Amino acid sequence: MKYKVSMFLLILMAFTLSAFAQEKLTGLQVMQKVYDRPTGNDMEATLTMTLINANGDKRVREIKQFIRDFGKVEKKIMFFVKPADVRNTSFMNWSYDDPNKEDDQWIYLPALKKVKRISSDSKGDYFMGSDFTYDDLGDRKPTDDNHKILREEKLNGEDCYVIESTPKDPDYMYSKTITWVIKGKWIGLQKKFYDEDGDFLKTLNIEKYDKIKGYWIVLRAKMDNVQKKHQTIMELSNVKINIGIPARMFTERMMKRGL
Amino acid sequence: MEKFLTKALKHPWIVILTVSAITVFFFVKMITNSRMETNLDKYMPQDHPAFVYSDKAEKWFDIKDGIIIALQNKNGVFNYTTLSKIKKLTKELQKMKEIDKNDVTSLYTADNIVGTEDGLDVRAFYKRVPKDSAKLAELRQKVITNNMVYGKLVSKDETVAVVIARIGDNVFTQDFYHRILKLAKKYEGPEKVYVAGRPIVEGTLAYLGPKDMQRMVPIVVIVITLVLFLLLRSAKSTFLTLLVVVLSSIWAFGAMATLNIPIYSVSTMIPVMLIAIGIAYGVHLYSHLFHYMEEHPGISKLDAGKNMLQEMWKPVMMAAVTTMVGFISLLTSQVYPVKYFGIFSAFGVLVAFLLSVLFIPAGIMILGLPKRKKTGSNDEELDPNENRFAYRFADYLIGHKKLVYISTVAIVALSLYGTSKVWINSSFLDKFEKNSEIRKTDRFINEHFGGTSTLNVILEGDRPDAFKEPKVLKTIAKLQDNVVGSLPIVGDAFSLVDFLKRMNKVMHADSAKYDKIPDNQDLIAQYLLLYEMSGDPANLWRVVTEDYKKANLTFQLKSDNSKALKSAIAIIEKYRPEFEKMGVQVNYAGSGYKALVFTDLILEGQISSLALSLVIVIVLLSLMFKKIKIGLIGSIPIIITTFISFGIMGLFGIPLSSTTALISSIAIGIGIDYAVHFIDRYRINAALTHDKIKTSHFTMHHSGKAILFNAIVVIAGFMVLLFSVFPPNRSLGLLVSLNMFTSFVGTLTIMFIILFVSNIYFSRDKKQVQVEEK
Repeated sequence: MKYKVSMFLLILMAFTLSAFAQEKLTGLQVMQKVYDRPTGNDMEATLTMTLINANGDKRVREIKQFIRDFGKVEKKIMFFVKPADVRNTSFMNWSYDDPNKEDDQWIYLPALKKVKRISSDSKGDYFMGSDFTYDDLGDRKPTDDNHKILREEKLNGEDCYVIESTPKDPDYMYSKTITWVIKGKWIGLQKKFYDEDGDFLKTLNIEKYDKIKGYWIVLRAKMDNVQKKHQTIMELSNVKINIGIPARMFTERMMKRGL
Repeated sequence: MEKFLTKALKHPWIVILTVSAITVFFFVKMITNSRMETNLDKYMPQDHPAFVYSDKAEKWFDIKDGIIIALQNKNGVFNYTTLSKIKKLTKELQKMKEIDKNDVTSLYTADNIVGTEDGLDVRAFYKRVPKDSAKLAELRQKVITNNMVYGKLVSKDETVAVVIARIGDNVFTQDFYHRILKLAKKYEGPEKVYVAGRPIVEGTLAYLGPKDMQRMVPIVVIVITLVLFLLLRSAKSTFLTLLVVVLSSIWAFGAMATLNIPIYSVSTMIPVMLIAIGIAYGVHLYSHLFHYMEEHPGISKLDAGKNMLQEMWKPVMMAAVTTMVGFISLLTSQVYPVKYFGIFSAFGVLVAFLLSVLFIPAGIMILGLPKRKKTGSNDEELDPNENRFAYRFADYLIGHKKLVYISTVAIVALSLYGTSKVWINSSFLDKFEKNSEIRKTDRFINEHFGGTSTLNVILEGDRPDAFKEPKVLKTIAKLQDNVVGSLPIVGDAFSLVDFLKRMNKVMHADSAKYDKIPDNQDLIAQYLLLYEMSGDPANLWRVVTEDYKKANLTFQLKSDNSKALKSAIAIIEKYRPEFEKMGVQVNYAGSGYKALVFTDLILEGQISSLALSLVIVIVLLSLMFKKIKIGLIGSIPIIITTFISFGIMGLFGIPLSSTTALISSIAIGIGIDYAVHFIDRYRINAALTHDKIKTSHFTMHHSGKAILFNAIVVIAGFMVLLFSVFPPNRSLGLLVSLNMFTSFVGTLTIMFIILFVSNIYFSRDKKQVQVEEK
């Protein structure tokens, strides 16, 4: 009984504390929570990327991807499944916690039978010809921007913080972004991007997310670039989390072996 | 009609007030509701298949015309200040609301894709401008080893770099044009700044042409006024004759504004036409009036006016109606501005006619009969009848018929030869002086880069992924090499092939051996995927559609004239069967190609409408004079004038363009007027005298003089345009003067002689004629 009471008190305290803490959260803290939201140690999934151009023409790419967090480095390997002419083309990316360290990237073209390193100077690069940049996919560190909570409001029935982020680097490709972050789940439900001249550029909408093995995973996201009149839909399926993907999965040898 | 005109003559104030009221109405409309149409695309027939296709292709591949700003530094562009300027200029252009950010290309925006032993390196050439010499040298090395930028964004002698801003069809305004020029000027010194590209050429043209006209037209009018006064020797007559022309122009433009039809550049030719044609009516009326006053001294103004109308309203009306029909035949043109030009010129001619027979008599009634200042001894009218110059001239022609025939045949033959040399030119650049700033800039950029003009070849496969097939791509590569290699005027070509060659080379550690299309289609697909992942895919979608079913091959030409475009098209056409065998259709697109088609259309329309109006004129004249022979004879001046007009263009190398082609309409307007007046007077005199020689004398004296006056006045006026700084306006002046001259000479010589020998109007006196001929 005593135990139960103390447990109750503890929970109550945790609640008040968290409520209290929530009250006092800064914009940076909110964004840090989004950045730090755990997604498991590793993940295997099928990524379906649909690119829609101004004429409404659709191109669909199917990719099998494996991701594992090694602490200081996150490793990711992707194999193209469709379209057929690029099947088994693979792509590997090692992303480091150290902000001064550039990502390592490799590409393997099966028709060339060679693995090539790709070095690129810009994190603003678009991911595989989509409307997402690598930064948009969650690579950008919250400390790179200044954040301000504009207001709190409901979006799609969820209580959200509305946060305005402006980059510390004035040359960054976005002059500002506005993010609707779901309280408690720490998912950026919607994000509006403004280009370097302050013009509205694109909107990101999270259309589907689910709790898998206790982690909130975004399952469908749509980016709508109004300037280019181009859209990208990214959809994850067959998501498996914490299945113990071996470290040897993330090697050039695996890239060559294919699926 | 005659009753109505006589009635109007008796109530001059009513006429004046009505005309004034309508003029005020049209004037207000013209001032408040007129707008210039400067968007050249609006001139094109939107439903013509070539334009429909080109517009579609422009959407598929985002084809736009580019403004080229070149920075020249004689000591080379790889230094801190020039590179900073490229960066700043790029950013400033990207910020302009008329320009999409992705549409600005320069060394600053370009990606450098480089192959290394073990990989692929995708980087901007520079973000922060390098300062120290080692880094500058490194940048230079990167540029000169990358064919995607070397010779394209930086000249091969390294002294010129360009920033290219592509703009949409509908954003170009005079204001934007001036802002671009101002912006570019800021970057002057020590670098020299050049601004070129089709939008700039079109902009300069739209700006300079009307500006030059504004300066020249008043001078034209002054000269015409002076010469008219010298000939008519009466201020009142000069004033009223000119007023008719001015008012008819106001009515024409007022009507246009009332109907909400914008002023197209060809519409600015309407006053030109009305001056050339409208003055004739006044001149003929007055010429008759003076004649009558001379024969009946002391006649009252009412009687003189009555006689003038009685005798002249018919020929003036016949002349006006046939001229109108000539213009209305332009409705067969597929080009809307030309249709409007035809309708409103016809309307203006109608107004000029109505005002001539209503307003001029009313003016006479109110202002009184013109008092002519008598001049010195060379006044032919003081000479005794037999010695009049006109008589002697007629006699001379009758005595030298063969000479007239032979000269006519010779001139027509020479003209036919000239006509065969006429070439069509849709070039905008060629409208400028050879050593004008804009042509010099264009030459400069063409010397350093591939070319300022483009031709888009649109290839359309019958299946998706057609443009991933090695066979198809290799044919494109072959075509590119063939056109660029065999035509010096084609400086460069750009297509999907260039991306693939570059990727293939880069993936083989930059080995030149692999600067070609690979044989494996999967490899091609994988290169393209890799490019999408590492470069800017937007660049790819300018050369191929996302389903790889359609491709866009762009040729850069050092000239936008029709000969250059057609020479490239001729080679491309040779590849059509080969492409078709692979299920690939070949089409063309882009503004240069549209201009080419457009000019052909105008010309085609102009020639068919000329032929049509000639037929109608012959029919009308035959009906009016109730003789088919007259119809045929009356068309002689038109035919001769038209031939000579085209002949001179061919001989003098004046290319046919939208404006020069329209000038041939003037041949009809003027040629008819002269013929009608001359024939009608000839008919009247024949009925009066029953004597062919006398008839010839009197007609030559009466109509011949009026025609001469008319020709002198308009020729003098339009010769002024020869001093214009703007070549198209000079050609206009030359051709209008020439048409006036040949119409005049043709009517008074060959047409007169044929009329004379045809014995028309003397058929009843056949015996007498036979006697005479002996």
